Amino acid sequence: MKKIIAMALALVMVLALVGCNGAAPAANNAQDSAVKQVIKEAQGMTLEELCKKAIEESNGATFYGVGNSSRGKSALPLFIEYLQTIDPNYTLNFEWQQPKNNKIFDQLTADSLKDKGTFAVTLIQDGNQIESKMVKTGILDTFIPLDWANANGVKADEYNGYLPLQTLNKVFEYNCTGSKTFTNCWDFVAEGEHGLFMDVDSEIVGKNFLYMLTQEKYAGYLKEAFDKLPADKQAYFKPVIESLEADAKDLGLGANGAYALAWIKLWVENYMAVEDDGPICNTLVSASATDQFGLLVYSKLRSVEESDTVSKNNIKVAAYQDGFEGIGGYGYCHYMFVPDNSPLPWTACAFIAFITCTVDGFSAWGKDMGGYSSNPTVAAGTEEKYGHSKGGMNEAGEVEFECKNDRGYDWWVNNGKLVIEDPAYCASVAFTVGSWIEMLTKYKPE
Amino acid sequence: MQTAAPTRAMKRRIRLNKLKTFFSKPQNLILLILGIVLTVTTVAPIIAIAKDTISIHPGTIDANITGKTEGYTFANYVDLFTSRTAKSNLWTPLLNTVLLSTISCVVSIIFGGVFAFLVTRTNLKFRKYLSSIFIFPYIMPQWTLAVVWKNLFYSNAVTHSADGLLASVFHITMPAWWCQGLFPSAMVLGLHYAPFAYILIGGIFRNMDANLEEAATILDTPRWKTMFRITLPMIKPAILSTVLLVFGSAMGSYPVPHYLNFQTLSTKYISLNSSRTGEASILAIIMMVFGVAILLANQLTLKSRKSYTTVTGKSGQISRFNLGKTGKYVIGAIFIVITFFTSIYPIISFAFETFLPNPGDYSFLYTGNVQNLTTKWWITAENVTENGMYGQQGMLYNKTIWHAYGGTLLVSVACALTAGTIGTLIGYAVSKNRRNKWANYVNNIAFLPYLMPSIAVGVAFFILFSNKYVNLFNTYWLLIIVGTVKYIPFASRASLNSMLQLSGEIEEAAIIQDIPWFKRMFRIIVPIQKSSIISGFMLPFMTCLRELSLFLLLCTQGYILSTTLDYFDEMGLYAFSSGINLILIVTILIFNTVVNKVTGASLDEGIGG
Repeated sequence: MKKIIAMALALVMVLALVGCNGAAPAANNAQDSAVKQVIKEAQGMTLEELCKKAIEESNGATFYGVGNSSRGKSALPLFIEYLQTIDPNYTLNFEWQQPKNNKIFDQLTADSLKDKGTFAVTLIQDGNQIESKMVKTGILDTFIPLDWANANGVKADEYNGYLPLQTLNKVFEYNCTGSKTFTNCWDFVAEGEHGLFMDVDSEIVGKNFLYMLTQEKYAGYLKEAFDKLPADKQAYFKPVIESLEADAKDLGLGANGAYALAWIKLWVENYMAVEDDGPICNTLVSASATDQFGLLVYSKLRSVEESDTVSKNNIKVAAYQDGFEGIGGYGYCHYMFVPDNSPLPWTACAFIAFITCTVDGFSAWGKDMGGYSSNPTVAAGTEEKYGHSKGGMNEAGEVEFECKNDRGYDWWVNNGKLVIEDPAYCASVAFTVGSWIEMLTKYKPE
Repeated sequence: MQTAAPTRAMKRRIRLNKLKTFFSKPQNLILLILGIVLTVTTVAPIIAIAKDTISIHPGTIDANITGKTEGYTFANYVDLFTSRTAKSNLWTPLLNTVLLSTISCVVSIIFGGVFAFLVTRTNLKFRKYLSSIFIFPYIMPQWTLAVVWKNLFYSNAVTHSADGLLASVFHITMPAWWCQGLFPSAMVLGLHYAPFAYILIGGIFRNMDANLEEAATILDTPRWKTMFRITLPMIKPAILSTVLLVFGSAMGSYPVPHYLNFQTLSTKYISLNSSRTGEASILAIIMMVFGVAILLANQLTLKSRKSYTTVTGKSGQISRFNLGKTGKYVIGAIFIVITFFTSIYPIISFAFETFLPNPGDYSFLYTGNVQNLTTKWWITAENVTENGMYGQQGMLYNKTIWHAYGGTLLVSVACALTAGTIGTLIGYAVSKNRRNKWANYVNNIAFLPYLMPSIAVGVAFFILFSNKYVNLFNTYWLLIIVGTVKYIPFASRASLNSMLQLSGEIEEAAIIQDIPWFKRMFRIIVPIQKSSIISGFMLPFMTCLRELSLFLLLCTQGYILSTTLDYFDEMGLYAFSSGINLILIVTILIFNTVVNKVTGASLDEGIGG
């Protein structure tokens, strides 16, 4: 009898606890509209006006942010200082979380189930998942600051995209202590080459890069680069391209789709997976990594210290070399969003406006090379303040580390043929091109 | 009618009295309460994760297949088991996982078993030192050996990376199968769990009466036959226990295969989770099924097992094999070298790493130039200037690291206290009702989470506690709850084994004297079995200190040291991860020493020396 009672009680408790999980986010309608209304109003306000609203709303409160970048933690004290120039008595406690392993989406989804969320703001990457998991589901709302809209020549209420804080670039770099050079993006997938790259399953934006290559514009870049290869190299790639024409057609890709699929296939089947861009950078700048190359976040070069066997001069940025053909890397964005149940929507909007519309606000990211503000005014101010284009020069104005002279966003997009992430496109091919990529066998050293 | 009424009343009274009698025994109350609590904490996450396998997740494959954004579907099962990606997403990782777990068991049993035999049954020299040092790999986070492996054996020629120590200093390049994949993963996990085998097998070897072996010798039985027909069968229970513990742990290990580039169900879970969330949950369920299967297999073995009594009422003696005058030193020296690489070298390597100018930059070793060393990773007090530290402050000033350290201590102490207490009570109650089915059920349900792969348990609790009413992600509460559930078996097993040794007469004498239960526990039972009970508190504490797989999905870095360590390791900031490793090792050693001095209990107690 006691066992039956115990089992029954246990079952009831288990089901009750599990039952809690079933709650859908639909119950948030009132709060949703409140945050959206705040955003609507905020989009017509200047930074100064927004800050006053933020002070009213959050003085003495705690502001929770979650993001893929840890720099939000550095930006928040600057924001508080800025608010204190308006009201010296203003205080704000804050906590910034940086989940790993794609957990940010689970965390935001779980938080969205509450009437009033924990997170006031988020800084998030991976356009594909943002589109399909966060925006289409109504979990995150976009706020476009007035000053940002003006600087970009758009109207906030008519702007359809997300708000990028910055574009980061991952670029092809190679160790130059040997004699090998890479003059064409197809050289990175040539026979026997094994570039260092964060595994696409570890960092999903890497997968987005591959998706983007299938967009006709970038597939066209690959075709152009292919056409400039010498005949012997073309002969190696040609059969692979031809064998994938049917797949390109099945996947609904454009005229140059097979070139994209061939490059992707050869890349996935040959890249050497590394846990993070940091170790890739550490490897490439070492004298012993002769002829190795990788596709990694450009800004990692900032932290390399010169020693007897490690030097920034041991590497070259492929796209900076004369005569380089084809894509030089890819760019992805850090987007700013306000959760639809943000507990401090005015403060979130003011914070977003502060970091996207002022050089000081952006300085947490802008002080380092390889991150480009989406606000042209801030980008120019950041370059003026930090001089990243001359980051590799010594005080005498001589080039000390060529790879550190960051040529800037415009150069990278126009000359460096940076592949730029398009969230909508990524989401549209995630389960067509994406499944095709999953079928490829990844490289293992033998 | 007149007789019926008193009968009913009597029956009611009898029932009431029975109930009173039942609950007057504390062990019954303990079993009832803990049985219910543990059923909930074990079964609810399983149900939650099972539900997740049929739920539709926006932006993932199930939503794409069904065209819906909510509701339920079996699309995840169909796709995982039958689609073109089934081989890469399911069958290969599954096979790899089974191979990894099996080989890890073999490595740990052979290495730990041979070592246990040498320490307990031979006249091996340096026993005391070797016994203490042997358990170090278990104290260290498991993936630190994987990182050491990489630093030692990687080379530009084979792994297309910078040269590791062996390649750069001795120009020796190891083959790919040695550097990455199944072999190094199994070796690292085998070495990490070898202390399990050592402690369990060593315990039996130490208590084993040598009369049986001597009888065989007198009967002129060949050595190999004695070993296979007498010695090995005697240690079979310990081998089975080791398999039980290592298989489940190795199966749920995420960081080791991740660092050594080997695809298992754990690593696949992480990689599938973004676009195939429901399918990833099925992988977690599969891992859990293995846990349950191991438990059932163990139950069957227990039922069919012959008698393996090692301690009898007769006087026993331990005879030590003579390794010879030279042999005892040579074999001792060999083990000193081996344990140097598994236990000491990692610590030296961690310490050295914290003084390198760049992660993995061994310029100092090649040049002898002290300019190639730095103390910046320890003493940099600001993060404004670019010091080649990726915007981090030095470890002595790094608030993230010290906050995480505080968090780790909090979680570990809380888990140790709760798991230790609950486990001890279970051990006590089960030993008092050892033939009772409910007691067996409680004992098994308490042990089940240990056999479930850590990552799967973490996933299950994340899903369970991420809802509208209870959202515990990134809270110490969640870590403590999960840690407690996972580590109760350490305490329950330690407690049960020791309680079973305790004669009932001791407590009965106190009951006759009408001494209350609390007093009986704290004045009689706990003092007698303090060593085992303290082990039941120490093991959760030490395991929790460096646990990653279990907590990986439950909190962000900066909350506890292991996730912070993993974060720095992945970022390639090996100076920080190595420094954190040192902090963890020193902490564990200090606690172990203090507990050892105060109570006389330690992990390798009674085996070595």
